[in-house]
Amino acid sequence: MKRLRMTAVAAIGALTLSGCSAAGWGLPSGGGGKVHLTYALWDANQQKGYQRSIDEFEKQHPNIQVTIEQVPYASYQQKITAQYISGNAPDVFWVNTPWLGDWVTGGLLTDITDQVKTANIDLGQYYPSLVKLHEKDGRLYGLPKDWDTIAQYYNKDYLAKIGVRSVPTDLSWNPVDGGSYLRFLKRITTDTSGRNALDPKFDPSSVKTYAIASTNDPQAQLLSFFAMNGGSMLPAPFAKKSSLNSPQNRQSLTFLTRMLQQAHVAVPAGQTGPNGDDTNAQTLFASGRTALWQTGDWQTLGLSGLSKFKIGVAPLPAGPKGRISVFNGLTDGIASNTEHPKEAWQLVQWLAGEQSQRLMGSGGYVWPAIEKLDPLFLDYWRRKGIDLTPFLDEAKGKTVNFPVATGLAEALSDVSIALGPTYLGQSSPAQGLRDAQRILDYRISYTK
Amino acid sequence: MFINRIARRTAYVLLLLVIAAIFVTPYVFAVMAAFKPLGEIQSGHAWDLPKNFTFDNFTTIFGEYHFGDYLLNTAGVTLILAVGQVGFSFMGAYAFARLEFPGREAVFWGYLMMLMVPNVVTMIPLYVMMSKAGAVNTYWALFLPYVFGTPYTVFLMRQYLLSIPGEVIEAARLDGCSELRILTRVVVPMARPIIVTATIIAVIFGWNNFLWPLIATDSNALQTLTVGIANFNSNFAAQWNLVLAGSLVALIPMVVLFVVFQKHIVNSVNVSGASR
Amino acid sequence: MTTDTGNRRRQRLTAYGLLAPSLFGVTVFLAVPVILVIAFSFLRWNLLNAPEFVGLANYVDVFRYEGAGHALWITVLYVLLNIPLQTALALGMAMLMNRTGRFTSVVRVLCVLPYLATPVAMAVVWQWIFDPTNGMVNTLLSAVGVTGPDWLNSNMWALPVVAFANIWQYVGYNMLFFLAGLQAIPAQVYEASSIDGASRFRQFLHVTLPLLRPTLLFVLVTGVIGSFQVFDTVYVMTKGGPGKATTVMNQLIYTSGFQGFRIGAASALSVILFLIILAVTIAQFTYFRKRTVYEMV
Repeated sequence: MKRLRMTAVAAIGALTLSGCSAAGWGLPSGGGGKVHLTYALWDANQQKGYQRSIDEFEKQHPNIQVTIEQVPYASYQQKITAQYISGNAPDVFWVNTPWLGDWVTGGLLTDITDQVKTANIDLGQYYPSLVKLHEKDGRLYGLPKDWDTIAQYYNKDYLAKIGVRSVPTDLSWNPVDGGSYLRFLKRITTDTSGRNALDPKFDPSSVKTYAIASTNDPQAQLLSFFAMNGGSMLPAPFAKKSSLNSPQNRQSLTFLTRMLQQAHVAVPAGQTGPNGDDTNAQTLFASGRTALWQTGDWQTLGLSGLSKFKIGVAPLPAGPKGRISVFNGLTDGIASNTEHPKEAWQLVQWLAGEQSQRLMGSGGYVWPAIEKLDPLFLDYWRRKGIDLTPFLDEAKGKTVNFPVATGLAEALSDVSIALGPTYLGQSSPAQGLRDAQRILDYRISYTK
Repeated sequence: MFINRIARRTAYVLLLLVIAAIFVTPYVFAVMAAFKPLGEIQSGHAWDLPKNFTFDNFTTIFGEYHFGDYLLNTAGVTLILAVGQVGFSFMGAYAFARLEFPGREAVFWGYLMMLMVPNVVTMIPLYVMMSKAGAVNTYWALFLPYVFGTPYTVFLMRQYLLSIPGEVIEAARLDGCSELRILTRVVVPMARPIIVTATIIAVIFGWNNFLWPLIATDSNALQTLTVGIANFNSNFAAQWNLVLAGSLVALIPMVVLFVVFQKHIVNSVNVSGASR
Repeated sequence: MTTDTGNRRRQRLTAYGLLAPSLFGVTVFLAVPVILVIAFSFLRWNLLNAPEFVGLANYVDVFRYEGAGHALWITVLYVLLNIPLQTALALGMAMLMNRTGRFTSVVRVLCVLPYLATPVAMAVVWQWIFDPTNGMVNTLLSAVGVTGPDWLNSNMWALPVVAFANIWQYVGYNMLFFLAGLQAIPAQVYEASSIDGASRFRQFLHVTLPLLRPTLLFVLVTGVIGSFQVFDTVYVMTKGGPGKATTVMNQLIYTSGFQGFRIGAASALSVILFLIILAVTIAQFTYFRKRTVYEMV
């Protein structure tokens, strides 16, 4: 027994000696003269770009040292929230819009309205809707850093093979007959004997290449198609009641699930993912099973490494209300309980500023939120052989902001789960939207 | 008749070999995979011996990721937890079994009631308590809830201590031994089997514990093996070489424990089952 | 006389001293949390905003919105997939290996080996074995010309695969109880029934099984209690998915409590699970007495 206890003491000693364990025992860890900041993000690829940006920042601010902490996306919201509650949150961290509602309402993010004024930051250099995205009641909680829109990647080689030079940019869809978009999708769906879906002899039971995968995914599909038909998910930011179950949205959802399936232009929903979601969408496109992939520009890097064919980008088809893409962007939040608010603000200013965004844009990491820097990103990918202009055109055209509400992150995944049976053809669009709205309303009204 | 017996004997042996294979092959295949490069796992069969035998997977997970920390954290926490749990439970059990004091029955009933509380029920309040106390994401959070002894271990040991002859203790008492001396010199040696059993139970629990460490820690440097593996698994899905090597780091010590204490473990399963 | 009271006082002090640590632990880390979990279940609270008293609303909401009904159903389904098969296998293996001999005892020991396997680590290994492209199961299936499903991403297969992993882990452990039970049956009982000319199957049905009833009940009840709390394997292999196809109660408590930080809802779910387990435990205690009677035989 005595020997065991000795071992225990030795073990504690060993634990204390191993790395950052002073903090592990709740003891204050000694610091040098420098202020030490932690910057959390989830994207391992962008981390490389931000490391270069941070190196530059540290050169200009020799009193500040910044450590980047990469947290996997799946556990990101949970981890930052838990760390904040126990007082260990990173000083500065990426904020994605689904969490914005909870973090603003819960007091986790620093209100930077006054600092922005004092520092004389020109908010006009950013896309106006991106600035609005991070506001609540006229107060600002973050500066825009980057943005994304939704468009359609397409397989250039396949289209050339079936005699289609490119995807027309003036396609339109409507919930009544599908419009020129549906006709085009039929044109590019081929069966094993090479007939396309416009051909009366087309065999829907042996489709070789589908035009598209219709995926049960709010951001990549639903939100834009709702907006283009005059519908929405939430009537306004921070709404406590959703506008999901509307006649317009029922039409959009009927188009996306029933019409595309019945025309045999979309991969059977069960094959895209277990709930008709997008689990396999990338694989389906990269392996040539689908000709198009409708998703966000953040997929460009992954896709360029995966596919063995040339990639083109086409804009979304225009709906009854025109072409409208969902618009989203990240911001860098400052934890309201940081020990170094002044230095954290300096870092945030830097990240939202021109020098850093120039680095990130020209490195091909993200579209800069500073509008005039966008050509840098475009050029980078042009040199790589992918023309991303449609994403940019959409950003400058009509957009709808990503919804903001409390409890939204979980709500979005619940909405997908509730719509699963509709995508899989087991329940009607009306039923799906009713179920989805019920859970959505509960989630977004949980916090006052 | 004779041939019939041989046939039946062969069938029996074959059946047992199949059963043994079912329980052993997952380990064997995982061990082999952990020494293969990723490409070989993807292209070959699980049952192929490693062609390009490599330690790289282990050097990677210990070098680039935090498996060294995880291992040390788990070992440390398990050790502290086991020593405390067994020691303190034993003390409590002795008091219940062998000492007279007012309130004994009432307190013992309280313990018995707490025996029925499943672990998961206390998770939410424990997290809130620990975070209010600033203990979340420290080593303290990992062992404090278990280190003072559990009603189950107290109950188990009390039952055993009731069965040892009281005359020995009385004799020692008449000899003028102090209560503490009786405990350490007389009772502990007699209770060795149950102490071993309780230690094995505590070690298995500490080593395999997952839900609470998952909730109570969020920094890599403090995580235990189970949490580290679960995170590693979701972040490095499909990198089977690394993920399986990581799992082996947790599995192998338990297999060694099993091989060394095999008889004790089989006994302790029976003891713990019978008294539950 | 004086020494006797002195002794008694000393004994009392020693007792309290010895009891103090475990009493502290049981009070602070078990009794207080149990009271708190009940108190929290009446609150709407996300640890960021101020808590709000909502009475029994959480108990309604967890069924209406959090999917408690579905999670209970999945949990029961899991128990049904798990327990009967596991118990039958454990009993069968015990009957088979209830004999002496070195070979048999080695195999017996190997069957218990998974009991020690860290469930989290083992779940990773099973995930690999059931992987749709690299996994052994689908490799074997394709060798006989069958295309295996993406097991853990399938609404139909995910739960059975998780149940299988747990059966593998605990069947040997349960076998030990049956072995102990079988060995406690006196040989004369069998001799008597052999004289009556009973067949082996009838012997099993009319002699072995009734005498094993206490063991059987014990294994069933502890198995059910454990299965109601399943978490590690589910979390690692599926995180409750695809969709909510494997969202058992414990997974739901974790998601609502530590991903959504809805402390009230998670507490209400905990209390509900607690009550169910309590009911099963009370059933166990009712049978406990019968068991001891048999053991004395």
